Amino acid sequence: MVTAALFDLSHPAHYLHWHFFQMSVANVIVILLMIAVFILAILLPFPKRRHEP
Amino acid sequence: MSEGGPDSVSPEERKMWTTWVRERAVATLPPEKLLPDRQPSYVSSWIYVFGVATIAALIVIIVSGMILGLKGPEWWHVTGIGRFFNGIHLWSVELFFFAMVVHLWGKFFMAAWRGGRGRTWVTGAVTFLVAIGAAFTGYLSQQNFDSQWIASEGKDGLNSVGIGSFFNVVDFGQMYTFHVILLPVVVVALMVGHILLVRRTGVVPPYPARTSKPAPSPSPAAAPTQGQGGAP
Repeated sequence: MVTAALFDLSHPAHYLHWHFFQMSVANVIVILLMIAVFILAILLPFPKRRHEP
Repeated sequence: MSEGGPDSVSPEERKMWTTWVRERAVATLPPEKLLPDRQPSYVSSWIYVFGVATIAALIVIIVSGMILGLKGPEWWHVTGIGRFFNGIHLWSVELFFFAMVVHLWGKFFMAAWRGGRGRTWVTGAVTFLVAIGAAFTGYLSQQNFDSQWIASEGKDGLNSVGIGSFFNVVDFGQMYTFHVILLPVVVVALMVGHILLVRRTGVVPPYPARTSKPAPSPSPAAAPTQGQGGAP
């Protein structure tokens, strides 16, 4: 409901075409997000455990 | 079992299959390795959390799927609470594959099959493939025009690769059985085996730093440890 209010979903999906390659914009966004999360997971420091006295 | 621990097993008990299984299970995976309270220090990285994130998503998938299965298609299509649980099921699947793919990338670039972890890698890869089938049969089980469209397209796809005679993707009963029983059982069994293998061989370490000295063994036994919980 919220996403439907933010984005108009009442139309066919948008697609990217590049020669034989074809993929929906939604899938491209998910793949880019996965790549971003993968890079952040390598670069971001992991929180250290607090040492109890 | 006799008093005094596993060393005092009588000859009669030695013949029992339960004794044989128990002794080999404990020898293969002792309790301190099955449920460890410390992990190697290199596990304190975000890239190591995506395996357990995949498991967490799978738990949500199974619970929401059980609720959907009990209430039925009319409930999940028509009622507000049904559509809510339908959405929970869909988005937990999205998170499941999202986390599993990042986990796969992390393990691939870490060459997680090193140090005798080949079976761990293979069980993970096969789990991924079976999970794709589980997701596909889930799309076929929606009971709407979307599932009919996917079934007709999937039928042609399966026929084109020569396996169309084994599956009738336009048969809702067959696909629903695959989706709610057969494939989930296989996914969970493979995942349990995968986790037990991780417990047995330890979490794969990162590549050693480039140095002129000879590289250390990838075995986690010699690695420094810290309290970290048990993320596989």
